Amino acid sequence: MSPTVLNRLDHLPRRNLTVLALTGIGTLAGGFHNTTSSKELIADVLGSEDPELMVQVRDRADELSKARHEGYGRALSLYDAVNRSQHATGGLRFLANVTSGLPLIKRLSALTPATDTLQAVDLGLKVAAEMLAFTQVNGLPGDSFGAFAAALADYGQQERVRMTALICFDALLPLGDQALERLDGLLGAAGSHDLREMPAYPLMAGLIPGHGDDAHMNFIRSSVGTWSGWAQGFVGQLGLTGQKAVQALEQTIGPWQGGFEQLAVFLDAFTDTYYHTGVQAVARRLVERAAAEI
Amino acid sequence: MSRALRWGLGLLLVAGLLLGAFLFLPFRDWLPGGTVGDIAKREVVNGTAFNRLFPKPEMGEQLVFTQEKRGFSEARLKRGDEVLALLAISDTTTAPAARSKYAGSTAVIQGWPLVEQGPQASGLLVADRFQVKVIGQGSGLDAERRHELLGAFDLKGLAALKPALKAGSDRPARALPPGRQAPVNAPLPKAERSPKSAVLEPAA
Repeated sequence: MSPTVLNRLDHLPRRNLTVLALTGIGTLAGGFHNTTSSKELIADVLGSEDPELMVQVRDRADELSKARHEGYGRALSLYDAVNRSQHATGGLRFLANVTSGLPLIKRLSALTPATDTLQAVDLGLKVAAEMLAFTQVNGLPGDSFGAFAAALADYGQQERVRMTALICFDALLPLGDQALERLDGLLGAAGSHDLREMPAYPLMAGLIPGHGDDAHMNFIRSSVGTWSGWAQGFVGQLGLTGQKAVQALEQTIGPWQGGFEQLAVFLDAFTDTYYHTGVQAVARRLVERAAAEI
Repeated sequence: MSRALRWGLGLLLVAGLLLGAFLFLPFRDWLPGGTVGDIAKREVVNGTAFNRLFPKPEMGEQLVFTQEKRGFSEARLKRGDEVLALLAISDTTTAPAARSKYAGSTAVIQGWPLVEQGPQASGLLVADRFQVKVIGQGSGLDAERRHELLGAFDLKGLAALKPALKAGSDRPARALPPGRQAPVNAPLPKAERSPKSAVLEPAA
């Protein structure tokens, strides 16, 4: 039996590198609050600390997250898959960076998929996972496309820190400040073999609409197309740049001497920001529903 | 190898294959535990039917729909960037326990029982089935404003959903997983339709 959403929330770290990175990048987006207690979250949504009500909400939330068709668990498996993949590629690239100076294992660096194209595919998978997870958790809210777009925009505003981390760590740092403009071109150059190289892909393939790698690549491109329009507005609104992201991170994780790309690789290998904020986002939506249903 | 051992190994292999098939092939959708409280999806009203019953926002406020699932629809009432309240309609078919708290209720709105849950949440049970809820967020809403919002829902339309659902329960039994559903047509209350057609019919 896999743990419920709220169990996972209760087991998130209170202080580690992930939290420090999020706290740092959060200063660009109005501050990061690290919610790691389901009780605190329930009391916040309910506006009451009545223990009996809180137990009812908790029980209902656990029941909802166990039901497979409700999608809350599925969203977390998507985040899990992406996170594992990020560690795998990040770790490999980090190793290559470290070992490229040593003659005997120099060849390892030739194995690393650190090209811009693969980075773009990685970001594409993350954005696609985000879209899929959104529909798993929230369904298709509203009766019109406009209402659905409003729901997405509202989600983006509510999850500002998550979106800032995604944009900074996976786009601006590794691909430069023009990342969002370049993204479509980079994905256009990528083939389905690039997709198959991503460790997250086999785990996600069953949840992406369409059959075959090419259909999945098309889905990823169209998700990224939708998302990058919104993300460009978001970047403009907060004035995000790679430089600013590094400065924000330096406040919490200390001075950084290397390049932007190395920082991105380091964060990929050693932090779980995508999973961490993902669990928090799903948990909040779940509690909002449970509170309304008790 | 003895005959018994061969039979034993054979049976073990078959059992292992069967178990594997159950765990790894997409049989899981038919196993219990897929839906909330193991209640079939077709017995639960789709959230799409609730959307049009939400109150219209006042000047300067917006209503943003945030979740829509089987038996549930939720929206946020916002003013600018501030979230004032969560508004939700749910079908209590999957949560029968939620109905019991209305038994001792004396307060009513438009004839339906009203219950307060803590200082920020008010609930209304319509037609003994649909729960309408307003939960104040952030700085909160006072009880009077919450009751006003509850009354602004289309409660008549909501109460009328029930008979329409029974008649419409011949909808396809298997629905796609949430997120892949095509928007389902809201079941129109039959009760409203019949008087109209009676008026339109030429007098005999």
